[in-house]
Amino acid sequence: MDIKDIGKDLDRLVKIDPKELIPLPHPYDDPSFEPPIRELSDEQKMRYEASLDGIVAIGIQRPKTRQEEETLIGRFLSGLEKLLSPENNWTFLQPLYHSLEYCVKCQLCNDSCPAYIASGKKEIYRPTYRPEILRRIINKYIKKRSGLVLKLTNSDIELNWQLIARLGELAYRCTLCRRCAQTCPLGVDNALISHEIRKIFSQEMGIAPKELHESGTMQQMKTGSSTGITPKAFANIIEFMEEELEEKTGKSIKIPVDREGAEILLIHNAGEFMSWPENTMAFAIIFDAAGIDWTLSSDLAGYDAVNYGVWYDDIQLARIARRHAEIAKALKVKKINVGECGHAHKAMIVIADRVLTGDLNIPRESALPILADIVLNERIKLDPSRNNFHVTLHDPCNMVRLMGIVEPQRKILKKICPQFREMEPHGVENYCCGGGSGFAIMQSMNFPDWRNAVSGRIKLKQILEVFSDIISPDIKKYVCAPCSNCKGQIRDIFNYYHVFERCNILYGGLVELIVNAMEDMKQPFIEWEWR
Amino acid sequence: MNSMNAFIAILTYFAYTFIIVAYTVKIIKYLKLPVHLRWELYPVIHEEAYQYGGSCFEKSNWWDMARKRRNLKGILWLLRGYFTLDEYFKKNLFYWLGLYPWHIGFIFIITFHILCFMGALFMVSGISISHDSPDVIGRFFYYAILLTGVISFISGAIGGIIILINRVIDKNLKTYASPLQFFMYLFTLAVFLSGLYSWHYTDPDLQEYRQFWVGLITFNFIGVETATMVHIIFFDLFLIYLPFTRSLHYITRFFAFFLIRWEDTPNIRGGELEKKLLKQLDNKITWSGPHIMSGKPWKEQ
Repeated sequence: MDIKDIGKDLDRLVKIDPKELIPLPHPYDDPSFEPPIRELSDEQKMRYEASLDGIVAIGIQRPKTRQEEETLIGRFLSGLEKLLSPENNWTFLQPLYHSLEYCVKCQLCNDSCPAYIASGKKEIYRPTYRPEILRRIINKYIKKRSGLVLKLTNSDIELNWQLIARLGELAYRCTLCRRCAQTCPLGVDNALISHEIRKIFSQEMGIAPKELHESGTMQQMKTGSSTGITPKAFANIIEFMEEELEEKTGKSIKIPVDREGAEILLIHNAGEFMSWPENTMAFAIIFDAAGIDWTLSSDLAGYDAVNYGVWYDDIQLARIARRHAEIAKALKVKKINVGECGHAHKAMIVIADRVLTGDLNIPRESALPILADIVLNERIKLDPSRNNFHVTLHDPCNMVRLMGIVEPQRKILKKICPQFREMEPHGVENYCCGGGSGFAIMQSMNFPDWRNAVSGRIKLKQILEVFSDIISPDIKKYVCAPCSNCKGQIRDIFNYYHVFERCNILYGGLVELIVNAMEDMKQPFIEWEWR
Repeated sequence: MNSMNAFIAILTYFAYTFIIVAYTVKIIKYLKLPVHLRWELYPVIHEEAYQYGGSCFEKSNWWDMARKRRNLKGILWLLRGYFTLDEYFKKNLFYWLGLYPWHIGFIFIITFHILCFMGALFMVSGISISHDSPDVIGRFFYYAILLTGVISFISGAIGGIIILINRVIDKNLKTYASPLQFFMYLFTLAVFLSGLYSWHYTDPDLQEYRQFWVGLITFNFIGVETATMVHIIFFDLFLIYLPFTRSLHYITRFFAFFLIRWEDTPNIRGGELEKKLLKQLDNKITWSGPHIMSGKPWKEQ
């Protein structure tokens, strides 16, 4: 296909044919087992713009009149202008400017992109494709180049609503893992372009995936959590957790909530309370056993570390970061610790650092170094033989490539899992789970099929490869993923391909493995069953 | 002194002045862009655990630890990249086979011109630049100018041809190459080939260049052979053209790494960075999404 096709009136630019996807290893080496990617219904096709690849992530409604089309175009262009202005986009203007101006189109980044590779190298998923479209639009409509210059720079692009809608969808075919950026010798960051396009749509046009915005950041600010958990519901959950803990471990542990002056305010991704409560319980068991001075917060949004703003909207990012800091300030804690949630790590500890000023600039850190200290310095008694099954580690991009937290989790696993093995590549060169940048929680129409079959494919391939010599379902295997969204994505891929049934590979967090190895646990903490 | 001699000299003055001014303007524009949110990417060169991409975030209470920024290490790492283009070598050898000699051509042609200028200064001060000069410095400059010039012409021409072929036959590269990009390859090829021709057929010692530079310094513009003149004109036009291309990536690469990819300065209460951020948080935003209070500053959102 030609780059300019993005603006053409075509039913679909690209069709994802499962047979063209990169092959998976045994026992998935027969392509006929590949689940089909669901087609949209006629009603969905009529209502939503799905002519990029037949997949809908955001669900941009088709304009009904010419005027609606023009409004869409006008708002996109006004957003683009704001994106290039220091007042409106000081947050990312310099990195954006560099990536727009200094890419030499050497295509060295292409093979770093898991979605592009997994798709069988579909042009639209190439890391340089979106930036190229955006550059052409900027040349023609913002810089107002015309005539020969336009032709010589290939920027003679015709802006229409379909192009804009496709570009919006396309910004949600990149997981923002930034593997492409890591590869670029010139420091160009093509993933950032996806991030910035998302911002135009949200900050100017009011268009964003429902799961990220309406039931994501907006709900979090209003009710306390993107999961819908209210402060009252949270109190009930804590009560339930304490009962569960006692039943499961025989220990009577009081989970501290809203304890003023505690050293640590621990904030989990609230998805853990809903989907993997054993993770939050494991934290409580470890911190209690190690004598850590900690607390949870029951304040609005204080029990949910997520900050989806980091993926699509700087204003939402700043609002939620400030909210978290205000809660910590009110509780007079010494520092905030982020539980097993990759994007919350990056958002709260690193990116929000430059929107939190004065007394809101409260020290923030990952929970992993504390866990490493507890395990490595034997502050709790552990028996690694209790974890005598095969374990590998999935590195969440936000923790490794985007933050440099590489070793603590490995040191823990090497200490408590006698059969630990690394997948390749790992550490800062890891592959995204395929659920990054919000994908793991986005359930729109047939989008989950795409993220399972395409964006998560390389991760599945890696997992199958690392266990290839022991792939038999008779042998227990565990993928440790210390991140809620990664876990959600791995759960979905495993469901999609029936990995637990066919290969006996379970997934879970890091703290579960630590508690599973604790000497005083009367029964295994990890229940070897699919949920 | 005829009018052609004057024209070439004036064009050369203009070309050098233009590229310096244009590059300076572009660099200032880049550096004046506001401090952005942290967006570093690991490995970060000045981290102790750089080898595996580790960071201070691997430690508890990281904010209490002394941090060293080893800028020299970063500079050396970036410079190594300029002279080896090793990332291309590892990931796309065929592309590197053209890119490397092409870039070596640029590095050497810049060095050649700097040496010509310095050599001319010595010549004006009475030192003869030749292979049998009584002064060591004269002999050194003779061979250095000759070597850098010839290596530049040959390497740049070979690289230019390979890279052009590469862009044409490699579908990945061709799809994204604009007519202007092909024009630039042809233009650089003209610069290197004209230099090669003039050295081989008319000026094997590159004496004319040295004399031309003496003329530029003393304002006594001399005439040169047609082939040399063509090369000088091509090169001057190339200098004028460069600021309109992405060529500044040679310099902005430093900025991208030091100001973005490795930029991990924490915001300290009451620090200089916080002062800048407070100003920026005072910016009124005009985004008009329904959830945004348009017209109010960042900090009041």
